[in-house]
Amino acid sequence: MNDDVEDLDINDPEKPHHARFRILVCIDGSDESYRGLRYAAKIAKGEDVDIVLCYVRPADQGLRSGGLQMDVARGNMLEWGLELPGLTYLKKGRDLLMELGNLRDDWAEQAFHTDISGTSLGDNKIDYTAKSGKKIVLKLKVARDVVTGILDQWELGHYDLIIIGASARWSGKGLKGFFDPAVAEKIAIHAPCSVLVARDLEIGHGHLVCTDGSEAATEMIKKDAYIASLCECPISLLAVAPDVESEGEARKTVNGARKLLVDMDVNVAETLTRVGNAVDEIVEAGPDYSLIVLADGGKNGLERFFVGSVAMKVVQTAHNSVMVVR
Amino acid sequence: MSDGDPGPAKPGSVRARTAGRALKLVKPIAGLRRRGNYLYFWEKRWFFIAMAVGVGLMYMPTPEGLTSAGMTILAMSVVATILFVTEPVPLPTVALLIVIGQVILMGIESKEVARSLMSDSVLFIMGSLMLAVAVVKQKLDTRIAWILVRMTGTKTSRIAFGIALVSGVLASFVGEHTVAAMMLPVGITLIQLTSNDPKKVRNLAAVLLFSISYGCSVAGIGTPSGGARNAIMIGYWKEFFYDPLNPESFQYLIDYVHWMMYAYPIFLIQVPFVTIILLITFRPEYKDLSRAVVKLRAQVEKQGAMKAGDWVAILIFFLVLLGWIFGSAEYGMGTIAILGAAAFLIAGLVAWPDVNSGVNWGVVLLYAAAISLGVQMKDTGAAAWVAQNFLDILAPLGMDKGVGLWAAVSLLTTTVTNTMSNGAAVAVLGPIVLKLAVVAKESPIVLGYITAVSSAFAYLTVVGTPACTIVYASGYLKTTDFLTVGWKMVVMSTIIMLAAAGLYWPLLGG
Repeated sequence: MNDDVEDLDINDPEKPHHARFRILVCIDGSDESYRGLRYAAKIAKGEDVDIVLCYVRPADQGLRSGGLQMDVARGNMLEWGLELPGLTYLKKGRDLLMELGNLRDDWAEQAFHTDISGTSLGDNKIDYTAKSGKKIVLKLKVARDVVTGILDQWELGHYDLIIIGASARWSGKGLKGFFDPAVAEKIAIHAPCSVLVARDLEIGHGHLVCTDGSEAATEMIKKDAYIASLCECPISLLAVAPDVESEGEARKTVNGARKLLVDMDVNVAETLTRVGNAVDEIVEAGPDYSLIVLADGGKNGLERFFVGSVAMKVVQTAHNSVMVVR
Repeated sequence: MSDGDPGPAKPGSVRARTAGRALKLVKPIAGLRRRGNYLYFWEKRWFFIAMAVGVGLMYMPTPEGLTSAGMTILAMSVVATILFVTEPVPLPTVALLIVIGQVILMGIESKEVARSLMSDSVLFIMGSLMLAVAVVKQKLDTRIAWILVRMTGTKTSRIAFGIALVSGVLASFVGEHTVAAMMLPVGITLIQLTSNDPKKVRNLAAVLLFSISYGCSVAGIGTPSGGARNAIMIGYWKEFFYDPLNPESFQYLIDYVHWMMYAYPIFLIQVPFVTIILLITFRPEYKDLSRAVVKLRAQVEKQGAMKAGDWVAILIFFLVLLGWIFGSAEYGMGTIAILGAAAFLIAGLVAWPDVNSGVNWGVVLLYAAAISLGVQMKDTGAAAWVAQNFLDILAPLGMDKGVGLWAAVSLLTTTVTNTMSNGAAVAVLGPIVLKLAVVAKESPIVLGYITAVSSAFAYLTVVGTPACTIVYASGYLKTTDFLTVGWKMVVMSTIIMLAAAGLYWPLLGG
């Protein structure tokens, strides 16, 4: 389909399968991450969707453990027959997928190991492949830090969607946490694909798609139509007008978006307009839906950070899950 | 995008799916937007900020009372501290930069800088890390676990106290990281044998695991071999005040036993409080762990009797301990530590590749550079200048002498140690505090002990002490747990330490 990317990782077992929709679910053992996984499982009912579960362990900094490598402690745990937390989290995720029927015993299983310098454990991966070619992958990754790990994983797999819980376990530790944004936010800023930040993610309340009529928003609506069609979620459209005079404009935007969706054979559950500050109104309307869907403003990471966009502000302040589509 | 044709409308339609796939053509564009250079600068931003601060300080007019060399070393210390806390580059890089800075910015001869990197304290840090790996590899932890539960019985509260005490006593001699690494599986095994569902044993897990980490943390101050910071402080005392020609300065040569007399009681008094604080804060779900203890016993019995190698390991360890107590004045603690490491290697109880991969040599380098920087702080007068200014700030608060000053130093150390490793905190603060004592006409010994002991009060964060970091790797604890219980620990430890400084140390004639 698109040969330009094909030659990027030609020798890598995780090279992109462009005919397939690939979801990267970041697992950190928190409830949020498993809710995200449940949602991924819902999207991935079809045969053409793969799920990759990824746990990233930050590489040791040595100084924190007083000069004794953490691997000595980890090795001792393994000798006691104890599993390291990352593996336990991933297995729990696998069991959840089994329970939901996304993974069955008759799938082919294959394990891979890659050495990473500076740690005795390295990257580990288990592939489960169905006869139809559908794949579920468990990946335990070692990286400099969690954000780098997840972004590196994207480079390997060119995923279409990253799902990450907005939980605390992976956020900056100690003083670092105060001046470093949380991992989920960083991923939402830097990832080149759509990112779903899961916060109390519940299945079945539909998508609240926020549009401003821009080209980016139009692309976003098309993409979300695809994702919503995978999980059969109802779509609601929302446009926010800055003041009462321009409400008509907002109405026109929503109707345009509705027509676009209807042309794609997608049902629109409702269309809404609101008046006020875009971020506040979206955040306030959000909790009635499973997730808020927004277009990324099309800025690059640096601009996004300094200028900020409605999408990023919503990610930071929303009470429920947010998907930034790009 | 080719998705305009109308058709039957329903969610999940094939048409919408095809449209979505066509959208994947956008991929190459997304590819261009892949993490570019800006992310590099973003990730390293603290490095550039630190460098800018350093250059700014160097070009600032030199304040009164400070030499230009003192200003340079001060700028280097500020830059190093920013880099320690924010970690934009691998930490050993900071050590390399310190060495480079000393030669290029300070104009010190490279031979001199190289010489200042190695000292008995650094040898001790290196040797005790090698010993730590050797001790963990002996697999004595199952025995210790078994002895422990035999002594304590099966009540949770007693097991928690036993873990804190046993971890503590061991950690006071072999270092907290060693014991945390050894005891972590014991704690997790007891938790997992009680219940496989982490949610059902959350509080129990917190009590047992914090008993290990806080038991180790409060004990790390007990003896000079309990942690790198103790060796660093002993090194500073000698470097700052010892003069072979002046018999009066001999009191600044602190030996093993002398340190223990000051610090060991502080550790012992804290242990029961650790258990009480943990039990009150977390209230474990299970009051009795008989099921887990029975299964643990079965596991230990599978191992069979103690082997000859186990006895040799214990013997070597006791000889090293005796060496530290009786021989460190003559041969230096570092020499005895590396002698012990050599003995383990000669006896074949540990393989060199294990030692090599188990010790983070970058940390040794880092401590070497930090101590060298600290000595330069003294030589250039920068430490005295900072001490004088700090004292001027404290004077209006009435904290420039006595208990007020002790509390101020303790608070400063606790703050710094919670943001970086405690060894680094002592290496950075030591010179300033010792000069502070001189300016304020207080005993450098007392203030030195207060700094070293307070550096163990890093209960608030995961990165504060090695034991906390190691225990956090179990996956059972949350970062917020450290805050919930940590502040109580800080209050308790500070009170006990100040009480010891006011009531107990004077009895020792310090």
